[in-house]
Amino acid sequence: MDNEQAIHASFNEFLQSHSLHAAPVSADAPLISNQDVYMNIALIKQYHENMPKNEAKKLALEYLERLDLVRIAHKRNSALTAEEKFFVMLLRAAMVREAVLLIDQPLKMIPHLKDFQLVAEALKRIDDLYFHCHIFDYQWMKDKYGGLCP
Amino acid sequence: MNSFLEKLGRRSIRMLTNFGETIAFAARVFRRIFRRKTYTSAMREVLINQIYFTSVQILPVLLLVSIVFGSLLIGIVFTMLKELGLTQYIGHVLMGLIVTELCPLLTVLLITLRSSAAINTEMAVMKVNQEIRTLEMFHIDIMDYLLAPRVMNGIISIVLLSSLFSIVLLASGNLFSWLMLGMSMDVYSKLLLNSTNFSDIWISLFKCAVYGFFITLIPIRFGLRASRELTSIPIVVSQGMVNVFSAIVIIEVLSLILKLL
Repeated sequence: MDNEQAIHASFNEFLQSHSLHAAPVSADAPLISNQDVYMNIALIKQYHENMPKNEAKKLALEYLERLDLVRIAHKRNSALTAEEKFFVMLLRAAMVREAVLLIDQPLKMIPHLKDFQLVAEALKRIDDLYFHCHIFDYQWMKDKYGGLCP
Repeated sequence: MNSFLEKLGRRSIRMLTNFGETIAFAARVFRRIFRRKTYTSAMREVLINQIYFTSVQILPVLLLVSIVFGSLLIGIVFTMLKELGLTQYIGHVLMGLIVTELCPLLTVLLITLRSSAAINTEMAVMKVNQEIRTLEMFHIDIMDYLLAPRVMNGIISIVLLSSLFSIVLLASGNLFSWLMLGMSMDVYSKLLLNSTNFSDIWISLFKCAVYGFFITLIPIRFGLRASRELTSIPIVVSQGMVNVFSAIVIIEVLSLILKLL
């Protein structure tokens, strides 16, 4: 896509068309600031599947462990780096049942990231948690993603 | 003159519309409270946290206020009744005025100052930060997840804290009646029981529940009116708090009318 507006329009259209399984990872869908990291992730299961609190917490911690992020489980949004915020948003999105990950301009959310390899690695580690992954970004950024999420 | 009347009319229409919208919103939230599906694990967690923030964290302050203020008030009331030779009406004054009227009012004022202001700001900040939009994106119904637990907490907290306030005040009354009038605990208890009008107690408890409902609902409603601008936060918080105080006055007046009927 060639401009910011087109990216947003496409993202929102996709979000609506995959209504039930859409799992957004976007700067427009920040973490809930009055909840710890693990609570943000567990919330999806607790709300949609009525999963008991402890079970959802265990699951959230297990998924954080996969990305070596257990140390931030009890931190809140304001205490996280851009990278940590992104991965927590990614895990939260992956908690949606049969998740279709919709990642909105990932390199804009983690501006200091030189290439997509770190994100690609994270996506690989949780690939059993989502059904599809779609990345929304400028056309000229395509090479950066290495064809991982066409 | 015409312009004044127009302004007055516009203001009245705005006020009535606002009132009507609040009542309609209250009806929607009220229905959710009785829906089983509302009580998900996520909602229950919020409810427990809210009860902790509102009822448990405030306990030291509430107990201190009820002991200091309650003891002084009871002391003054007893002294006056003694001077006027009306000691036989101690029970009526305690139950009819202090327990059923003053305790709920003081409790609700204390909770409003602490929790309603916090809820109003919290909602406004969530709206500004787009956190409400996040919840919507994940198909989390804010009515179930944010509103219902806070309103339920308001009802539970006000009823319980007001009862606790009354118990502390009655205990102070027992102490003062013994110190000032040499009244034994048995006589004091009998006096209270004889002056107790159970319908008044039910009205008082119902009033507490209504207070709890509205002092949490109104701040949420106004908090959600914030725009994406940070500067909208103080505006919606002040509007919300003014409306909460108006609601408290209206509920108090209605309960007094109900009591007089």
